[in-house]
Amino acid sequence: MESTKYTQPVALSKKQVDRKWWEIGDFFRRNSLWMLMYCTGCCAIELPPAMTSAYDMERLGMGPMATPRQADVLLVTGYLSLKTLRRLIYTYEQMSEPKYVVGFGSCTINGGIYHDSHAVINQLDQYIPVDSYVAGCMPNTEAVMNGFVDLIELIKNKKANGWKNYHTNNAWYKKNQIDALGEVRIKDEFHQ
Amino acid sequence: MNSTNNVDFLKSLVEEKYKVNKTEVIDQYQISFEVEQVEVHRLLSELKLEGWKQLSYLSAIDWIDENEFEMVYIVFNWDRPVHVQIRTRIDRDKPVMNSIMPIFEGCKYYEREAHEMFGIKFPGNPDHEKQLVLEEWDDMPPLRKDFDPQAYSDRKFPVREYNNDFVELNGKKSKQKDRLKRAERIEQVGKRGNK
Repeated sequence: MESTKYTQPVALSKKQVDRKWWEIGDFFRRNSLWMLMYCTGCCAIELPPAMTSAYDMERLGMGPMATPRQADVLLVTGYLSLKTLRRLIYTYEQMSEPKYVVGFGSCTINGGIYHDSHAVINQLDQYIPVDSYVAGCMPNTEAVMNGFVDLIELIKNKKANGWKNYHTNNAWYKKNQIDALGEVRIKDEFHQ
Repeated sequence: MNSTNNVDFLKSLVEEKYKVNKTEVIDQYQISFEVEQVEVHRLLSELKLEGWKQLSYLSAIDWIDENEFEMVYIVFNWDRPVHVQIRTRIDRDKPVMNSIMPIFEGCKYYEREAHEMFGIKFPGNPDHEKQLVLEEWDDMPPLRKDFDPQAYSDRKFPVREYNNDFVELNGKKSKQKDRLKRAERIEQVGKRGNK
């Protein structure tokens, strides 16, 4: 009689093996997210209660990281002027893959109260891909925590593909960046 | 040394020697003098000798109807606590104001900002045409009153398009139609009007 405890190993194709490894990788990635906080606007004030004992985001496995090259999540907290957008694109391109972006507040969605400003962009996802948005002006801390849980779910369901879109649609993103900024390269007194 | 004396001291100091178009005592800590353009440098260096040695701010105001810019210099004294504003009017079509860098060297960045935001030229400041806050700016200076920020934003940054499809969450009826009706009623009869 054939044993029910033992199943014959099935030879997997390379694609299936890669998928398995990605699933294992995603499990560890979503449970250990290191975030880079790009605190451009007022929504950054929601991060201290989210990080400290009030909401304690470390129970989700999230922690702050100081440098872009080691970080997994880029938090864009609030409005982005053209000047900060240049630095943000630099920062985003320095991050190692896979990388995710969370946009905070209505400013990153449609410009918010700065929709008519000459210096502030209206939609962040025209310039870099955004995986998860936290709406509100400003969002309360529960919404911020919910946004992080949403991001973890997106990674689990393989829908956090912003960094892949940045490769496939790179020409479109670059065109939008150049339309808004003229030139992405930073030319100020510290970069001369 | 009390502060009313400070205001009197300043008034006598400035009004005796300079042609002051308008003096405004805002309160015991603030006083404003409007003088001719050529006298600004002399007045500022005299105030500096008297102890008003901190340049707190330098900016401009756009009076578009009179076709003039008003330059404002604010200086502060740490011994006699009065902010002194020196104001002067300059032509709006060809705005040129000599730099005050020989008197207050820290004005360098304020003048760069004023050049960027209003397009005022400051001969004497070697860096006044360098960009400071706005990078790669391609339009008229943005704080002039005839600049339209909404038009610039619409031209440069795409606006997000929305569909009016309101989601009915958890089987609850959307309140959006009621909200729109209420907004219309408020517009017609005011907040406390009858239904």
